[in-house]
Amino acid sequence: MNKENTPALEIVSVSKSFKEKRRTLPVLSDISLTVGQGEFVSIIGPSGSGKSTLLHVIGGLTRPDAGTVRMNGAEVTGQQGHISYMPQQPALFPWRTIEDNVLLAQEVHGPVSREAREEARHWLAKVGLAGFEKAHPHTLSGGMQQRAAFLRALLSPQELMCLDEPFSALDALTRSDMQRWLLDIWEENRRSVLFITHNIEEALLLSSRIYVFSSRPATVLHAIDVPFPRPRREEVTEAPEFLQLKRQLSEWMREEQRKMQAAHQGGSRQ
Amino acid sequence: MRSWWKNVWPPLVAVIFFLLVWQLLTSLFHIEQWILPAPSDIARETAAASGGLWEHVWATLKLTVFGFAIGTAIGLIIALILHLIPFLKQALYPLLILSQNIPTIALAPLLMIWFGFGLLPKIIVITLVCFFPVAVAALGGLKQTDPVMMNYMRMIGAGKGQIFAKLELPHALPSIFSGIKIAATYSVMGAIIAEWLGADKGIGYYMMLQKSGYRTDRMFVAIMIIVVLSLLMFGLIALLEKWFVRWKPKQG
Repeated sequence: MNKENTPALEIVSVSKSFKEKRRTLPVLSDISLTVGQGEFVSIIGPSGSGKSTLLHVIGGLTRPDAGTVRMNGAEVTGQQGHISYMPQQPALFPWRTIEDNVLLAQEVHGPVSREAREEARHWLAKVGLAGFEKAHPHTLSGGMQQRAAFLRALLSPQELMCLDEPFSALDALTRSDMQRWLLDIWEENRRSVLFITHNIEEALLLSSRIYVFSSRPATVLHAIDVPFPRPRREEVTEAPEFLQLKRQLSEWMREEQRKMQAAHQGGSRQ
Repeated sequence: MRSWWKNVWPPLVAVIFFLLVWQLLTSLFHIEQWILPAPSDIARETAAASGGLWEHVWATLKLTVFGFAIGTAIGLIIALILHLIPFLKQALYPLLILSQNIPTIALAPLLMIWFGFGLLPKIIVITLVCFFPVAVAALGGLKQTDPVMMNYMRMIGAGKGQIFAKLELPHALPSIFSGIKIAATYSVMGAIIAEWLGADKGIGYYMMLQKSGYRTDRMFVAIMIIVVLSLLMFGLIALLEKWFVRWKPKQG
């Protein structure tokens, strides 16, 4: 099989429901999506729509009721250790130095070579964390911690990076800084990325394709290709096409949010 | 150094004040020395160190450190086993709690009957006192692993052993140390009780001897030494903790 054409991640008709007090709670319903080699793909959807469950399925923590997960052409449904991951909170280990934190994911998959350590140091300098190699995480600001957490994911041996709303805990200013930073770094490296967010502008700025999820149970409502050429600059956010796409996505999202609220009220009236 | 002094001088002044009042009251009301000796009497007796006092201190110190090491090790091993095998924890944890309702001081005579007057029953007494705080603190610490970090480790495919070594154990270190600190102070008490019940040396034995002679001043010397030993054990563990948990953000 040609590696160029095999997608980094392929999710085929995945469904999952949880049992809760004798009721079945469907969370994912027939989800299919693809992340090509070197592609930046976002999932956007209302909060509580099961995006985290999907990530747990991809990471192999949760087995889907139906459907398969394939990576680089091989089926990996229910198997762990195939993705690199960046969680919502940085989740740096407070007893490790920044350098050791960044190397943690590599350490889990085998001994860390001296070259890997050097590479980590090189990257730390590159992302503005020079001089913090031996510092402990609590001495860093929120944005710096997230950069270290991103680096930890970037330096993982696995090809596919899953980023789970990585900037949602940051303040607005730091957030937009981090988006630009991520855009630059990604365009230089072109790793395959699955990015989960509920920020429309963020998704449009960074991704090549966006999957819009419905409210629970999550289905793929729309898949849109983001047409702006690379490398992108931040000015793209002011282009009329960008604004139009943004309006369209906002409308879909609002609609889903409304449906969710209606369902919630309906549910509480019973 | 300056801030250290700032924290130290108020309790120091309080202690000195307390000793002064004690000294004044004993001479003012002419209290008999065999009822309550004055601090100056106790100080004089300590300096004299009669009756082979330091040999007894040395014997107790050896017994304490030995028993404490074994007790702490057993506490850690119990915590480890119960943590790694959830079913065992479910079955044995309540028994562990229950076991602490048996007063050690009531068990000690039994141990003497079973194991004689040698080293073994004394070590068992100290172990019984020490293992519990260590085991409970370690189990508590291992259970309270940060869920976000745990999720991260599982998402990147870390195995059970790696999660234990790289996350659970370092995360639990501060609470393990607070258990060990309690055990360290208890271990001195355990040693004294063991010596009371049957020994031919040690501070506990020394106290029994002095009690029969109504040497209250020497009893106070013994108490003082016990306090100092307890503080010493505590301080040693606190130092170790400071070194092992040096990543922890300073409070305040």
